[in-house]
Amino acid sequence: MTDIQALYTAVLEGDAPATRELVRQALQEGVDPQKLLDETLIPAMDEVGRRFETNEYFVPELLVAARAMKGALELIRPLLAVRGAEPAGKVVIGTVRGDLHDIGKNLVAAMLEGGGFEVIDLGVDVPPEKFVAAVREQGAQIVAMSALLTTTMPGMKTVIEALEQNGVRPKVKVMVGGAPVTQRYADEIGADGFSDNASGAVRVARSLVVV
Amino acid sequence: MRLKLISCEVLYREVCWVVARSPNIVDVTFLPKGLHDIGAIKMRARIQATLDAVDVARYEAVLFGYGLCSNGLAGLVAPQIPLVLPRAHDCITLFLGSRQRYLDYFYANPGVYFKTTGWIERGENTDELHQLSLQRQTGLNQRLEDFISRYGEDNGRYLYSVLGQEAPHYQQFTFIEMGVEPDDRYERQVRAEAEQRGWQFEKVQGDLRLLQRLVDGAWDETDFLVVPPGCRVVARYDEGVIAAES
Repeated sequence: MTDIQALYTAVLEGDAPATRELVRQALQEGVDPQKLLDETLIPAMDEVGRRFETNEYFVPELLVAARAMKGALELIRPLLAVRGAEPAGKVVIGTVRGDLHDIGKNLVAAMLEGGGFEVIDLGVDVPPEKFVAAVREQGAQIVAMSALLTTTMPGMKTVIEALEQNGVRPKVKVMVGGAPVTQRYADEIGADGFSDNASGAVRVARSLVVV
Repeated sequence: MRLKLISCEVLYREVCWVVARSPNIVDVTFLPKGLHDIGAIKMRARIQATLDAVDVARYEAVLFGYGLCSNGLAGLVAPQIPLVLPRAHDCITLFLGSRQRYLDYFYANPGVYFKTTGWIERGENTDELHQLSLQRQTGLNQRLEDFISRYGEDNGRYLYSVLGQEAPHYQQFTFIEMGVEPDDRYERQVRAEAEQRGWQFEKVQGDLRLLQRLVDGAWDETDFLVVPPGCRVVARYDEGVIAAES
């Protein structure tokens, strides 16, 4: 029998090879992939997020755990897809036009994936029309934007306006983040969610798809 | 007028230049460039503490050689005399002389890292500021060996690929020549660094007129915010960049 506790610990410690091996073993032994995801892997990532928010973990620990989780998901996702099981939600993510700073965005993307979301990463310096096209073509429920510079922050408002003008705003929730972004700004531009850290972003995304 | 100027040291040579040419008496306090790395809340606290220490009876206003600087100046409260701030996102507007010129250049040249004398020769942090820096606290900008020794070979290499590079998407140095340089040594240094990294290089001419108007007292509404006593600076993220709130 696969040691499920060891799998939980492997994710928590960001041990990607061990995580992959233990998931493979578990699947071979017939453990239900959905159960593995819901009862072990996602709770492990939730614990990673909790430790991050209480300053027990820092950015590197978050990244290596998310990487281990990604490896596990690569094995599990195809099995779930065959059954028609849906991810927790589909998120289109990118930094706004002119902003090339993506460490925060990558961190959020990794944590969202670890939280069971399907993430479509549009990269950096993403023009509004690309966000609109991605929402249309991918059927995402969430648009997540980040900016590191106050110079580029107004681009978030531009994206929301573009979503409105193209008639897709009612179909998606918008969440924003990045060092200078505040809840006040998020409210001002009509975003649905804001988080000042990658772990909180997962919580916000979950609350947005439930609504 | 007698004015107090609190400025980031990144503007050191430029500030000295415009102060020397001002009809006003301007006393200057330079603060470390490293304040930008400790996060907006701590940066604001340090600047507010400097502001609180100003002898307001001696001056008619306190000027700032800063932009909004990632919200590092949002929340500053004016004492019994007004504060005057350039309407700027960051110091690049002060170097280029206008925020529109900065925005035009910014969007026409994605991936530009600006250099001036201050960006080259200033910014050596005290140990205290270094320890407080977000880079240090979040584990950014470490060497590959540091990542490997702490997180093992596999994770160490991965972390270095994500966090180790200072500016993975930058492709160009733009040297802003301000006319205060002693010779072309700074330009040569930036050219050499661009070559070493395989980046583009461009030189543009700076414009000291905005900074000169700051110290001369020509504070028109379009380019400057005058914060009345007791009011606070708030970020606006629109054309005006900042506003005063009571």
